[in-house]
Amino acid sequence: MLLTLAIHDIGSIALGAATKLEGNKLEVDPVELRQLLLEDSRLQSVDIETVSPGEECRIGVVYDIIEPRTKEPGSGSDFPGILGPIKMAGQGTTHVLRGAAVTVVDDGATLENAKILEMTGPAGEASPYTSLHHLVITPHPVQGLERHTGLAVTRLASVTTAVYLAKCTLEITPDSAEIFDSEGPFVKGREGLPRLAYIGQIHSRQRVAEIDEKILYGDNTAGMVPVLLHPNEWLDGAVVTCNRAMGAETYFYQNHPVITELYRRHQQDEITFVGTIATVAASDNEERDRICMLAAEQAKWNLSADGAVLTKYGGGAPHADMSQTALRCEELGIRTTVQVSDMSWDRRAESALLFNYPEVDAIVYVGGRDTDWQVPASGRVIAGNGEVAEDLGGPRKLFSTNVCGVASQQGISRLRALVY
Amino acid sequence: MRVVHYLNQFFGGIGGEEHADTEFQVHDEPVGPGRLLEHILGEDAQIVRTIVCGDNYATENMDSLTAFVVEKTEEVQADLFVAGPCFEAGRYGVAAAGLCVAVSSELDIPVVTGMATENPGVDLHRQSLFIVDSGQNAAAMRDVLTKMSEMAHKLAEGCQIGSPEEEGYIARGILKDAFVEDTAAERLVAMLSAKVNGEYFASELPAPSFPAITSPAPVVDMSKAKVAIITDGGLVPAGNPDNISAWAATNWGAYDISGKDGLQGDDYEVSHRGYDTRYVEQSPDRLVPVDALRELEESNIIGELHNKFFSTSGLVNPIANSRRLGREIAEQLKESEVDAVILTST
Repeated sequence: MLLTLAIHDIGSIALGAATKLEGNKLEVDPVELRQLLLEDSRLQSVDIETVSPGEECRIGVVYDIIEPRTKEPGSGSDFPGILGPIKMAGQGTTHVLRGAAVTVVDDGATLENAKILEMTGPAGEASPYTSLHHLVITPHPVQGLERHTGLAVTRLASVTTAVYLAKCTLEITPDSAEIFDSEGPFVKGREGLPRLAYIGQIHSRQRVAEIDEKILYGDNTAGMVPVLLHPNEWLDGAVVTCNRAMGAETYFYQNHPVITELYRRHQQDEITFVGTIATVAASDNEERDRICMLAAEQAKWNLSADGAVLTKYGGGAPHADMSQTALRCEELGIRTTVQVSDMSWDRRAESALLFNYPEVDAIVYVGGRDTDWQVPASGRVIAGNGEVAEDLGGPRKLFSTNVCGVASQQGISRLRALVY
Repeated sequence: MRVVHYLNQFFGGIGGEEHADTEFQVHDEPVGPGRLLEHILGEDAQIVRTIVCGDNYATENMDSLTAFVVEKTEEVQADLFVAGPCFEAGRYGVAAAGLCVAVSSELDIPVVTGMATENPGVDLHRQSLFIVDSGQNAAAMRDVLTKMSEMAHKLAEGCQIGSPEEEGYIARGILKDAFVEDTAAERLVAMLSAKVNGEYFASELPAPSFPAITSPAPVVDMSKAKVAIITDGGLVPAGNPDNISAWAATNWGAYDISGKDGLQGDDYEVSHRGYDTRYVEQSPDRLVPVDALRELEESNIIGELHNKFFSTSGLVNPIANSRRLGREIAEQLKESEVDAVILTST
């Protein structure tokens, strides 16, 4: 299956009279966008602003960050099941505003354990998002909606905006193209290369997904067992983050660091990238046993993998699911590496791992617990509501785990805890 | 720099295993490898005192040896305490590391020792000491003393100590964040490629080693046993009177259940961020099964339900903290003559 990303490089963003791309200058008509978004009657209003790299600005509470993209007409559906009709994602051509982002602010969240985007200073430098040109939208659902409905409205507004922005490029010749082409597990002519797979959690049942929460092709993942996905499906809108995603944004599903790295090595004929499995972290032991077993068995018997990279979602408990899946893989002869998030509050290595399997011996440790920044008051604040704005704008301590993209669980983090 | 040096009977020139029972001795000069150490430490350094003790004697009399060494080190106003190097010698390593910890905490002067990673002294005290990795081979004495000397000077001058690889000490197991060149995804895939190809790979976190916990003897007669419930699921009375933190809790609570046949949702709340707490909030018996245990008590399957349940939040709790909480709760249980415990986790 072949996916072509038609890349349009974005060098600047500004609000203007029409939504258009001229050269690498992106102009956004807020009136037209607002009109489009307010077609959803559950939405009362929406704030629309732009933020450019280097501009002092603090944004929170961030609901999600999305790369503006749209499918070339006839080659598929935009965010199938989440926005567009359900069609397989990952084939044909997708137009991409590279260097731009739709950053969505949640107007109902408090600052407790909130995700924040800090554009400048050392905290900003640590984030992969600060080099992007942001269109920041804050959807305000009508009063009296259930919280989960408000979030569903916010989700819909987020993907609608991402697609709307990219639509203006359909008639424009892209600056470059990126090709993602994989025949999956049955590929011929690559004998002798190690067959590697990716097993990624896309939700953790530590928090029960809401009935209207759209995560995988619009499914809320309740009752989901591990499913095989073509790598391109992750990259092309089949998966978005859940309502309260720690260390994950849709942007890095669309630009998945693990999947693109496996692709890079595949294209250099160092490995064969045989496929991916999307899975979830369980809420109880029986479910955990079942899900972990099935994920490993799919990697073995459907992908015939020699090795697998595993990543987790959510907080502490999903380490158990990831490590148990890795253990089962190892037992089936599939070598594994796992990405662990920082769980050591006392900075002792002995407290760092929430599992203890000698077979799970290849660990990438994303640090973060002793990385924080004391930041001054920000010259500009974009917040979901007045109360948050007041708090967020003042001098405060930003923890790495709260700054978008720094202690990411999607593989983009350059933070690492070293053992001294 | 005034230096006190600790040696075992072998390196102290008394003799081998047959002299391992030798009591401690004091020499106000360098002895054995101390002469070379003094030379390597440089002109400013002088080994003003050497304390030598047999390995068996040290192991069997650690308290008196420790007090003696601290006193004799203080007496000469030492600026630095060096023990060993001990290489693989286990009893020597345990004594040397223990003495370093004591001198460091009592006298607040820099301490340095050296031993092989396999030495049991490492496991005991690695977290609080800079133990120079001596390797196993005592023939490398000069190299090891050189590394120990470098470490001593850095500690004495209050320099920042770099990574174990840079400085040659055995990792203390302390995590420090750093920003690195490669993304986690690049590291994951590179490590996996190496592992699949049977090549060397370095995990970013060594496997932890925990001492095995032996199961206690079974309860002989449950119908006579006093049973208590402990949970790390964070159930607390409404209002969280002990302010038990929802993560990495540093305290625990004991909550009275006398006369209760079960727990009512309105009376309790959950202080825990790591699981979906709604079902416990609806019916706390799901986490702390007072209802079921009352029935067992009634039908005399258990002797008695203890009149308090114990609760804390186990979420991302550091090991050292968890150990302390466990110890404290266990002491309470002992005092209340509880025979058996049901632990419920989330």
